[in-house]
Amino acid sequence: MNIHRVVRDLVATSRTPTLQSKSLRVVEDDSGDLEVALDPVGARPGDFVITISTSAARHAAGDFSITTDLTIGGIIDHWNEERWRD
Amino acid sequence: MRIFCVEGTLVATARIRGLELHRLLVVRDRKGSKQVAVDPVGCKPGDWVIACGSSAAREAAGHKDYPSDLTIVGIIDFWDEDGPEKERAEEPEPVAASADREGRR
Repeated sequence: MNIHRVVRDLVATSRTPTLQSKSLRVVEDDSGDLEVALDPVGARPGDFVITISTSAARHAAGDFSITTDLTIGGIIDHWNEERWRD
Repeated sequence: MRIFCVEGTLVATARIRGLELHRLLVVRDRKGSKQVAVDPVGCKPGDWVIACGSSAAREAAGHKDYPSDLTIVGIIDFWDEDGPEKERAEEPEPVAASADREGRR
């Protein structure tokens, strides 16, 4: 698992049926690289979140038939930029 | 899932039987490096797309035995290459909430 920060929502109307209609968020890691994560939690931009990658991401999405390789597993209550970049 | 821009179609006539069914695209990530992705969605060159790896790439391409490690799963509706940095200040709200506010104006 990794720590990411939510940057913004992502709209992708044209998608594979295996992605269902799940919410997607653009997230950044501590070096500023952007990725897209499936969000079953409801995180808001600016939230620090725990993300789960690889095939565990599909279990984390709640349904193994959903094709994601990055899923938000939870919103971190207390975290800050300094601790993150350290 | 990672973000890519579609460069174009890749033709590889002689390919393993497992790679039939979908076309292949050359995609470029935001740093400029090229990769090849399977496209079950139907993208055009210039589209910004999201693609997944791992076992999700195989499943998204149709079945769990499909030999793909990068499969496009969606086309991004709006993506300005310089966008994410700039838009961070004015964050979008859930569609229902913003539509409601428009109505009240």
